[in-house]
Amino acid sequence: MTKVVVDPLTRIEGHLRIATEVDSNGVITDAQSSGMLFRGIERILVNRDPRDAARLTQRICGLCPTAQSLASVNALDDLFGVAEEIPKDALVTRNIIQGLNTLTSHATHFYVLWMPDVVNPAYRDILATVDDTGSALWKELLSRFAPISYKMDGEAITPGTGYINAIKQKKNLEEAMALIAGRMPHQMSTITGGVTYLPNIGDIGKLTSYYLTLMDFINGSTLGVDAQTWLDNTYRASSPQKAVSFMLEHLQDVVDGSLSSQNFSKSKGWGDFELFAAFGSELIGEDTLGLPVSFKFDRTGQYAEDSDVGYLSYGVFYDVENGDGYDPTGFGQKSFQKAAFINSALEKKTFDHNYITEETTHGFYTHDEALHPFDGVTEPVRTADEITFEGGSDSRYSWMKAPRYNGIPCEVGPISRLMAMDEPLVTGLMSFFAENGYSAANSFTRMVAKMQETLILSEQLLKWVTVDLDPNGRYYVNTELKMAKDSQGIGLWEAPRGALGHWIKSGSDSMVTNFQMVVPTTWNGSPRDANGVAGPLEQALMGTKISAAENMMGIDNANPTGILHTARSFDPCIACAVHTIDLTGKNKEQGTFTIV
Amino acid sequence: MEKTEKQDFLSMDRRTFLKVVGAIGASAFLGLHRSQITKALELSKTKIIWLHGAECTGCSASLLDAEDPDLTQALNKLSVDLVFHETLMAHQGIFVDGKPASTSELNSEILLDEAIEEGNYILVVEGAIANGPDGSGKYCMYGERTFKDMFAKAASNANMIMAVGMCAAFGGINTADSDLADLTDFRGVDFVKESHSKGMLTELGIDKPVINIAGCPSHPDWILLTLAAVILGKIDINDLDSVLDKYKRPLVFFPETNTMHDNCPRRGYYDRGILDEDFSGEGCLLKVGCKGPYARSDCGLRKWNGGVSMCTQAGSSCIGCSEPGFPDSTSPFYEMGEDKPLMYGVDIDTAAKVGTAAAAAGVGIHAIRRFVFKDDEE
Repeated sequence: MTKVVVDPLTRIEGHLRIATEVDSNGVITDAQSSGMLFRGIERILVNRDPRDAARLTQRICGLCPTAQSLASVNALDDLFGVAEEIPKDALVTRNIIQGLNTLTSHATHFYVLWMPDVVNPAYRDILATVDDTGSALWKELLSRFAPISYKMDGEAITPGTGYINAIKQKKNLEEAMALIAGRMPHQMSTITGGVTYLPNIGDIGKLTSYYLTLMDFINGSTLGVDAQTWLDNTYRASSPQKAVSFMLEHLQDVVDGSLSSQNFSKSKGWGDFELFAAFGSELIGEDTLGLPVSFKFDRTGQYAEDSDVGYLSYGVFYDVENGDGYDPTGFGQKSFQKAAFINSALEKKTFDHNYITEETTHGFYTHDEALHPFDGVTEPVRTADEITFEGGSDSRYSWMKAPRYNGIPCEVGPISRLMAMDEPLVTGLMSFFAENGYSAANSFTRMVAKMQETLILSEQLLKWVTVDLDPNGRYYVNTELKMAKDSQGIGLWEAPRGALGHWIKSGSDSMVTNFQMVVPTTWNGSPRDANGVAGPLEQALMGTKISAAENMMGIDNANPTGILHTARSFDPCIACAVHTIDLTGKNKEQGTFTIV
Repeated sequence: MEKTEKQDFLSMDRRTFLKVVGAIGASAFLGLHRSQITKALELSKTKIIWLHGAECTGCSASLLDAEDPDLTQALNKLSVDLVFHETLMAHQGIFVDGKPASTSELNSEILLDEAIEEGNYILVVEGAIANGPDGSGKYCMYGERTFKDMFAKAASNANMIMAVGMCAAFGGINTADSDLADLTDFRGVDFVKESHSKGMLTELGIDKPVINIAGCPSHPDWILLTLAAVILGKIDINDLDSVLDKYKRPLVFFPETNTMHDNCPRRGYYDRGILDEDFSGEGCLLKVGCKGPYARSDCGLRKWNGGVSMCTQAGSSCIGCSEPGFPDSTSPFYEMGEDKPLMYGVDIDTAAKVGTAAAAAGVGIHAIRRFVFKDDEE
């Protein structure tokens, strides 16, 4: 056994350590996912004015601040008893704000955080085995996906065009957000009772222009087929099989039209997505399209056949077809993207937040009982000796807690959301992989789901802006602090990287007595639970080969691409995932803005 | 491409440079040390090591939103080698059987150690530094060591340190009051809230020039223009007192003589005494908790994200995220204090024209100032 540790796992948000054991065949046999930071954020919310949560929780994550704020705002709308009265146009505006944030986060994750691994030197060596095709493809990949400050063999590599243009798109989308929400990161508009700003006619025109800039990028770089055509034949396909067939036939056309000429340019239909989809998957690239080589991302990050990892979505984006208000507790039944629990056999069940628990048997906390978030208690260890990451799977080894749904560890993120909404392409692809001996969820399908969701949301965004939004509508209902007296609230939402819930309770002075968050990377990056069952990321690592393309060029523990692809496919956000939670009802001076 | 054309200012001659930078409000800052313009560019590439402690990556995300120039253009124009940046770099820490594996081209930990060893770099810190529990720093671990140790090593050999964002500069949200604050014991690089003596550098006994870029997050202009000024030699890192305030914030972005309120897009409503009672209007946001009068930032002029808007323009009251005591000293965000505050920097004549609600509040001004700017009177 060799111990291979990646620490820090970079190109994510926050501090994540992945410790693995690798056997003599180059297969990962054990894995621990460790959050490396204890921040104590939620604890500061106790005894504060609850409305401040909508600003303060954003500070947990600079990549998905909007989602944190909206989860808080949903909990606060519930706490103040105004959820049913929130004006429709406030809900539309919130949808636009979250839509922009999700698009930003997805584009940044795909191009800036994930794709640089495609130009890992291991793939240069693998492509060198397939003659001219390989070297032409390698040049194309480098020219698109190389990150900044990248060197190989002492030579500085120019950042790729896709990489640079994605940063420009991030900027474009955040500018759109700032237009209607003040600024990004840490936007200012989403508050208890609605939003602080309703886009006017001029803003709607500008938002449309930002949208067109985004579509120029998608059509000009990301996708080798018109985005509308793509969605018509996948998202709006009459069956999952038809959606998958369209994707495979499209890829086959692109391959047939250019492979022999070794021309991988965009003009030949090779969008960034096509390059990823064709060469990223063994099943699609080699077995279906007949390519001479693939990177086999579908062989990384798989669940074992007997694994019991479920898929969870709380649902996201308000239903704005039916006027004002929403139901905070049954939120995901009506939202644009639906709530669901999907078991490991891919059977969909109704979601009920009462099944959520968190426990800390393997976290650095001293209160281990599995509790629903409304009743959660967390007490961190208080001495340095107790904090060690070397103790193995039986020890305490993470600042992340272990959330479970009815006792089951769950994967959250685009793949779970698209299954929950019965999206044809992703459900079809997952079946396609499952039927061919792969795990339905793997690093490849996770990334395809992310791309597909990006396209779906960009289209939906335009509808919210140009059809649903009434620039003369109402956007705020007044709230007063006393409305939060002795109350509680639940805020269910989806961050770009998965299910996000905030639970809040207040006392007789309306101040916060308890604030709990269960966030996406706590689900995905969870440590083991009391039964020793590993979290989704840990399970996805076990069985994955340590080196590139199934150890094609031999075992190289010093370049553990299997860990990198698997962990980054979950889009981890560790700042969100490591938090302490209140000690309920600790007495402290109320508030802090006491002026004498 | 039009924007690209405009972005050349960092390589312009001094006169043009000042003219352009002046147009966006930074000329006083950048012009103070005219005689020292030269050297940096003639030297080898400026190296930057950017470390992440207890933070949200929001300041890095904000930096990626920079315009005129954007980040990659700026690195290019300034001849900067961003050696280490956890969110952006291709590398990661790799350990095989406990030993660092591969080389500095793949292994971030080897790269970092080599770069620190070589020296001659600007250290940028994003995020607070955990000192707890009991001074061990183990509440934040990183690449098999504590972040506190990593920071100490990187700081010791740095030419200077830029603390970017509230967490690194003042502790930010990490040091907000809670019953865990003493346990976690987070520190800013050189301050905790308004206190210089509690900064991690003091704790470690390290003395280095420090610039604090406030803001939660920092504005990309604040970060890049300060870096540019340092790299181009337009400010002297051994004589920072004249360009920084007592919290080591660049005066040009965080002026002592005025506040966000002075240039607020809603200022006209305040002057006419139109003070909104809730968030559905277009008036001044003072009564719904706006902290603009205490926020010493140039947000009102500069605005955010390509200059399209800013907090109060989007109807949201300022939360004072540029002030060392944020968030404690400026919250509750949506309530005025018990004493109705009056505007910092507004003369009595102007105040007299204001509607009765605000005028009656004049008595509170000094208390408020003492509260928000805690040691103003010390």
